[in-house]
Amino acid sequence: MATTALHPAAPAYRSTLYDWVTTTDHKKIGIMYVINSFLFFFIGGLLALGVRVELAQPGLQFVTDQTYNEIFTMHATFMIFLFVIPMLAGFGNYIVPLQIGAPDMAFPRINALSLWMLPLAGILLLLSFVTGGAAAAGWTSYSPLAQDRVGQAVNAGAGTGQDLWIVALVLIGTSSILGAVNFLVTIFKMRAPGMTLFRMPIMTWTVLVTSVLVLMATPVITSALIMLFIDRNYGGAFFDPANGGDAILYQNIFWFYSHPAVYVMILPAMGMISEILPVFSRKPLFGYKAFVFATAGIGALGFSVWAHHMFTTGAVYLPFFSLMTFLIAIPTGVKMFNWIFTLWRGQLTLSTPLLFALGFLSMFLIGGINGAFSASVPVDFAIHDTYWVVSHIHYVLFGGSVFGIMGGLYYWFPKMTGRMLGEGLGKIQFVLMFIGFNLTFFPMHELGLSGMPRRIADYAATAGWNDLNLAATVGGFVIAASMLPLLWNIFVSLRSGKPAGDDPWEGNTLEWATSSPPPPYNFDRLPEIRSERPVFDVRHGQAQGGAVQLPAGH
Amino acid sequence: MATSPRAGRSSVALTALILGAVLLISVAIVAVLSGGDLLGVPQRFVDSLYPPVAVTAQGEKIRELYTIVFLIGVVVFFIVEGLIVWTVLRYRRRPGDDALPPQTHGNAIAEIVWTVVPTIVVAFLFVVSWQTLNEIETVSAEPDLKVRAVAGQFQWTFEYLPADWTPDDPDAPAPLYTEFVPTRSGDSGGFVLPAGRSVQLYLHSPDVIHAFYVPQFLFKRDVVPGRTNVFEFDINEADAGQTFRGQCAELCGAGHRIMLFDVHALSGAEFDAWLEGKVANAPPPAPSGEPEPSDGVTPGPAPLVLSAINVLYEQTELNAPADVPFIIEFDNKEAVPHNVAINDASGASIFVGEIVTGPIKTTYDIPALAAGSYPFMCSVHPTTMVGTLTVN
Repeated sequence: MATTALHPAAPAYRSTLYDWVTTTDHKKIGIMYVINSFLFFFIGGLLALGVRVELAQPGLQFVTDQTYNEIFTMHATFMIFLFVIPMLAGFGNYIVPLQIGAPDMAFPRINALSLWMLPLAGILLLLSFVTGGAAAAGWTSYSPLAQDRVGQAVNAGAGTGQDLWIVALVLIGTSSILGAVNFLVTIFKMRAPGMTLFRMPIMTWTVLVTSVLVLMATPVITSALIMLFIDRNYGGAFFDPANGGDAILYQNIFWFYSHPAVYVMILPAMGMISEILPVFSRKPLFGYKAFVFATAGIGALGFSVWAHHMFTTGAVYLPFFSLMTFLIAIPTGVKMFNWIFTLWRGQLTLSTPLLFALGFLSMFLIGGINGAFSASVPVDFAIHDTYWVVSHIHYVLFGGSVFGIMGGLYYWFPKMTGRMLGEGLGKIQFVLMFIGFNLTFFPMHELGLSGMPRRIADYAATAGWNDLNLAATVGGFVIAASMLPLLWNIFVSLRSGKPAGDDPWEGNTLEWATSSPPPPYNFDRLPEIRSERPVFDVRHGQAQGGAVQLPAGH
Repeated sequence: MATSPRAGRSSVALTALILGAVLLISVAIVAVLSGGDLLGVPQRFVDSLYPPVAVTAQGEKIRELYTIVFLIGVVVFFIVEGLIVWTVLRYRRRPGDDALPPQTHGNAIAEIVWTVVPTIVVAFLFVVSWQTLNEIETVSAEPDLKVRAVAGQFQWTFEYLPADWTPDDPDAPAPLYTEFVPTRSGDSGGFVLPAGRSVQLYLHSPDVIHAFYVPQFLFKRDVVPGRTNVFEFDINEADAGQTFRGQCAELCGAGHRIMLFDVHALSGAEFDAWLEGKVANAPPPAPSGEPEPSDGVTPGPAPLVLSAINVLYEQTELNAPADVPFIIEFDNKEAVPHNVAINDASGASIFVGEIVTGPIKTTYDIPALAAGSYPFMCSVHPTTMVGTLTVN
């Protein structure tokens, strides 16, 4: 079934490192995606601590205004473009071919290319710190702030940092587009016999919808970035009003990508918990088809809501974007109730993956509700560009995506490595992260309502924001501390972890029908696929199995 | 299917129906009560999750809308979060749970309920939001006062305009009076406004995007270069005499956090007196194209000419003779406040000229300087508007 001529088994003189660097195996590439994403997660996390330390007390204690702007710009850039998006692409890379019974991705070499563009982009971004200052116009890089000059005045956006930022984002976008094409071809062309579209695991469905979003949206932001680059370096005037350009045009193009990008960052995490909840409650996912349609619905609606980031510009038709934004709550609500009724009357085992999935449910709920405030245009006039929005985005992307990613990590780590992660350390991590997260981001609701704008390095001591900011900073360090049990857990597990076996969780989907870690090309034999839970069917005698006990691979 | 799927199915549908009914009834209660006296209750209980008390008529409407959205959000939160918590507590796997639980694959009635009920809720939210939006977006043809706010890196200027002023008209009459709010002085500088009157605010930016934000207005609007945004508000008469904090809300560069201003609300009569006094004391605009006449003969060296446009000096090298006083003729060609300040080599201030908002020409009398090199800059734009004065 392999579509591309692949290397035979590596000759003995090649080192393990060489093997990993040159691999086209989707599992190794997936693991490298995950490792790369974690590295940038930690860098982005350190930058976040920089923000929190500076804001802990009124007064500018540690950094200059310009440095502060660089820090939060790069925090968001690393977290969005080099952590959440690639992390989910990495899990997709590892899991999707296994879940559909394929031997690899459709285009293994393009897959490797997509991966290796990411560290390159990351290095460019890191270099910008030592080549005259990183980008400092926010991760949105609105024009004219991100222009080289405003009129004839030298701007804060001057310097190589902003150019490096543009180049890095174009690289990452290209990587995403290639990855999306790869996923789509893999999912449409390489499913095992019997794996119809409506028997695909939800994780695979979310990667499918995500890939469509990436394919339609990413070229658009790439065009915006190239136009901004031309503005800055070759005297273009696309987005520079001083030269006849349009500042709002940039925002329209930017958000046409960047709002769907929010769904790129949340849908696969939804897919992850949709795998975890059924397994740990011993029930099928409630309303599988409704869930698929809701996912597709979110994807489709996601393209008609971009201007809700621009309500205060005075340049968009407000009622339309308000309505579409409210409508997104409907498929999202369908998902929420389907998840809850998957648990309903089940037999729940509170293992670490389920804890993180429950964390996702309860925190993403808050992120959904406080999002409805922004959909109400007049309320958005009050809370836009304040700390309320910072709170909202983190309840979605941290409370949602990061909790989902952590759940997925604990869930699939045994498959990836053949070793279990420790439950005790996992629970400690969950508790610390849950407390730290809420301590950091819940007070930001009140900060925003009382008028604290985002992206300010300092505030007046008399503004009444001191205690809440201090609480958020303490919470930030609790989150940082929650990473220590995770790292220790991974370290201990890789050295001497409990062997996982093929199917430690009594899983439902095909990745649990092969060995842990799976052999090259994944499967020697596949079970019959009669439903969206082929391995469950084999376990409970409703399908021919035989493949659960696979030989080690070679 | 291990155990009776039928029992599981009907219980799910029933639960979903009950949940949907509870949610709809709660929302209906919120909708009915939102105009009534109960509005004050959540304000006292959950003050921390409430925006500040509004001081404009428009802000009060937004706050009423916030109440509706907030209460519905609270209802949804407690129902759904409660359901999650209860499910987790109730349906734990216990020792001996070896048989599979009912394998419920879904339920059409339940799916319909939790599609239709949220649709009703968000449709309601959309409609009330739209109504409020239409109310607060109203811009009247003849407001009581027109003001143009100019937001530049990194300060605010407020121009009080004559009634016949219109935006984007090159022949529009000049402002009656211009109040410049220097950077960093949110406590002293001020935007004086009449309470109980309608005010139309036109927003203009000469450089990057800013946002006019007063938390107690519950409102912000972006100040976008290349376009003029306008909105209208009425400060409550009861709030005359108060001061409200305002701040730029859109990242605009390194000085973003110091783009502060205060709004001082005066009663109508006080405001009229204030503006009259300011207009009477304001210097008459310079006749265009001619330098300000100086009184009598100016002895000493010829004046140095310095001009500013696009937030830059057009001359960055000036030369002056040593040990005699001299004059700088400063031509500020744009509606952005600038001045000239001179430091000595150690950075100590020697001279700080009055900040002027153009287009205007002014003269600065500089004291005698010893030979040497002196940096000069605009106090408002000290990082970008710089030059060197060579004295010899």
